[in-house]
Amino acid sequence: MKQRKYFTGLELKAGLKRQMALAMLILTLCSNILPAGAAGPEDSENNDSENNLTLSKEGFFDRLITYIKGLYLGEEGETQDSGVISEAAAADVQQSADSEGAVLKIATPSAIKSASFIGDSNLGVFTHLSNPPLMKMDAEGHLVGQLAESYNVSENNTCWTFYLKDDLYWSDGEKVSPEDIEFSIRYYGKETPWASWINDTLESSTVSDADNSVTFKFNKPYTRVNMEFATYNLLPAHVWETIENPLEYISNGPYVGCGPYYLKLIDLNAGKLIFEKNPYWKGKAPVSGTVEIHFYSNVDVATLALKNGDVDTYYKYAGSYPYSGIEQLEKTGDFDFLEKTDIGLVFLALNLKKAPFSDPEFREALAYAINYKELVRLETLGYGEVPNRGFVPSAMENFKETEKLEYSPEKAKENLEKAGYSDSNGNGILEGKDGKDIKLEILIRSEYARTGELLDEYFEQIGLSSELKTADADTWITLKDSYDYDLTVIRSTPWGMLMHASWGSGYFDSRRTGQGVMHNVEDPEFLQLCDDILATTDPAELHDYAYELQDYYAENLPAVPLYWSKSVTPFNRHFEGWYSDPLYGIYNLDTFVNVREVEA
Amino acid sequence: MSGIARKVTRYFASFMLIAVINFTLPRLMPGDPIKNLIGEDVYISEKMMEELRLELGLNMPLSEQFASYLSDLLHLDLGHSYHLHAPVAEILLNKMEWTLLFVGISVVIGSLLGGFLGALAGWKPKKKVSRLTSFAFVVISCIPPYFLALLTLYLFAFKLGLFPSKGFYDTPEIGSVLHHLFLPTCVMSVFSASRNFLVMRGSVIQEKEQLYALYARAKGLHDTGILFRHIIKNASLPIITLLALDFGFLFSGALFIEIVFSLNGMGLLIYDAIMGKDYPLLQGAFLVIAFTALLANMLADLLYALIDPRVRRPA
Repeated sequence: MKQRKYFTGLELKAGLKRQMALAMLILTLCSNILPAGAAGPEDSENNDSENNLTLSKEGFFDRLITYIKGLYLGEEGETQDSGVISEAAAADVQQSADSEGAVLKIATPSAIKSASFIGDSNLGVFTHLSNPPLMKMDAEGHLVGQLAESYNVSENNTCWTFYLKDDLYWSDGEKVSPEDIEFSIRYYGKETPWASWINDTLESSTVSDADNSVTFKFNKPYTRVNMEFATYNLLPAHVWETIENPLEYISNGPYVGCGPYYLKLIDLNAGKLIFEKNPYWKGKAPVSGTVEIHFYSNVDVATLALKNGDVDTYYKYAGSYPYSGIEQLEKTGDFDFLEKTDIGLVFLALNLKKAPFSDPEFREALAYAINYKELVRLETLGYGEVPNRGFVPSAMENFKETEKLEYSPEKAKENLEKAGYSDSNGNGILEGKDGKDIKLEILIRSEYARTGELLDEYFEQIGLSSELKTADADTWITLKDSYDYDLTVIRSTPWGMLMHASWGSGYFDSRRTGQGVMHNVEDPEFLQLCDDILATTDPAELHDYAYELQDYYAENLPAVPLYWSKSVTPFNRHFEGWYSDPLYGIYNLDTFVNVREVEA
Repeated sequence: MSGIARKVTRYFASFMLIAVINFTLPRLMPGDPIKNLIGEDVYISEKMMEELRLELGLNMPLSEQFASYLSDLLHLDLGHSYHLHAPVAEILLNKMEWTLLFVGISVVIGSLLGGFLGALAGWKPKKKVSRLTSFAFVVISCIPPYFLALLTLYLFAFKLGLFPSKGFYDTPEIGSVLHHLFLPTCVMSVFSASRNFLVMRGSVIQEKEQLYALYARAKGLHDTGILFRHIIKNASLPIITLLALDFGFLFSGALFIEIVFSLNGMGLLIYDAIMGKDYPLLQGAFLVIAFTALLANMLADLLYALIDPRVRRPA
């Protein structure tokens, strides 16, 4: 019995070991063989959906041979991404069988959630490449024509005429016409909530084939049309006029475009967009045959992908590559970095409707209490600078060099004393003009936790008691809109700085509400300045008004800018020709037609 | 039969209660779905906001919205997603297929692996191999899933280059899918196995002390027989409960795994719906999860009755 039990135990051990080893071997073999020589993809037009899994029945033995070769002969038999060995896999190596040239791969954390060309906001940014807007912003922040050769505006600012370039063709061979522009603008106005202003204000539109132009007539003066038209992607009328509900129109592609590339495939499950060269593009030919946008839900993984060479650069709309990851990439020696001062910024907004924040001297004191250099060091890791009192960052058009904000707790205390804020009861906390201790509530979202803590410390140093209140985005909006806060930290985006009367006015004008705006300045001087800006398109006048606005910010401090940051874009040294604009960063046509692979 | 009928009635009543909570809960969250839909930098007039509210049915009183929701539910219509611009049922089906693929397989592998190894470890707890596996699984169960997933990805995808780093596939082929899902499935299986291992091990240790095990040994049955013919049946009851729970929450996805591996699954879908206040999508997703949880529990009850005669015996 004992012997039998011993033998049984041994059998169990040996048998179990054999079985487990075999199972592991089979699993390893299968996981490496099957993808090693996958057959080419189906034509995307024939794909019904992203669930269309097809098992290639041919080439299994090819794959097996490939795998064995790789294992024993040392040939590289890696995944289908990096190389092709078998004939069956040769046709599969590039996403589109008929494209030539290199593939430019871009990592982004701005994932597409839905294959709705019009409905998905991130997709709307990426499709600037295939369906460029009429206008664009150049590197200096000037609005210039993109598909428009030129434009003019009537004296009363109600009529805008855009002259289309003559050499634009859709990717299906049709010529781009002024009718397409008219159609696109009206379409957005009718079908999308964010362009509803078009529907409300556009009186008429006329097309002229003679001079290849389209004229929009508005029912009131509108001076920002050129800016707005830098954000609406052009649509082919002959395709979209048949689509009734564009917001709900879902398709994985291909989409007809008129840029240097067209959108060939949206693959949410593979997490990528594929753009192919537009065969009818007459402009400067891009070098890369294909552009792939790869979505990463995790920036750490995107960093690893960059380091590994799986992608060539990183892009995030209105955002920088994380500063903490820059050093990692620098150490590899494979990357260069494009640095541009962001036209958006982080600032401290004050509830100007209540005391003591309505007191300009109190605001002045707060501004002196903040250690801007420390904020720049801790929040941007050195990729930033101390802001000016004029609020507007230097990268913006018509920037005025106002005085730099200064950190001086002594001056802060002095100002507070002069303004009548003192600690009469000796408890270390200053009292307001009502005699009560000043207790500041700093409302923050979780992403500004560190900034909030630093501000808390700075204010306590000058005798102001403060506490942090953290809220999620929706609660923050509710509290902000009901003016149920003292101070709050907020970030302006590039578009946010340009909206309304530009230069950040959209955040402060009390007549204007929206998700992330403060709408807290009711000063008639400020409101009149906004109206003056909105009433003119004359560059000289705009220049003067911009300067006036920055002077207003510097003098009155309706908000205190905390730091100006740089937008940092890492790119593989094998590529050069990057071009960055203040609105969309490196994601613009100039980048894609100029960037090329070079010997590092 | 009356016992089963009572259970079914109970589950149905639970489902109805869940439907009510499902409707109420998203609406208790702070935030306006319209403002979330529009975005931060966009300015639209109040008139336009009202039109949107009207279009989405959000201007109706709550009672009317609830009646409409129930009526849609009875027609198996889960509504239309505000952000994804597609019918909720379609979106959920698509995501569920993928989530089922990697989470479902992980749950099964985790249960089998954890149960099997746990049984062996519980049977001979003093052996070196058993101690080592116990130690390994304890360590794994203590590691945050996010960290383990990142570590695995770093090692196998980036350092060794054996597996891809993101997505369900690169091209929609079975080979590519298997290759892409191997790592996330492994990570999830290992996590699931670690928990099942510990439960099974404890359960077997307890069961092997019972008299019937001693009797089986006295009869001359060999170890394998005692373990796999007698003990494992009784010891697996807690595993069945855990399995039912796992299956029940199958469609809630695995958010951390999906984030690390950039998988477009149910976890991220639900997370985005919460952040975007996409009521129809939230309601649909929670309903599906609740339904599968109820179904899984019902099946677990039935399985218990099958396996354990004490449950079948009348009180």
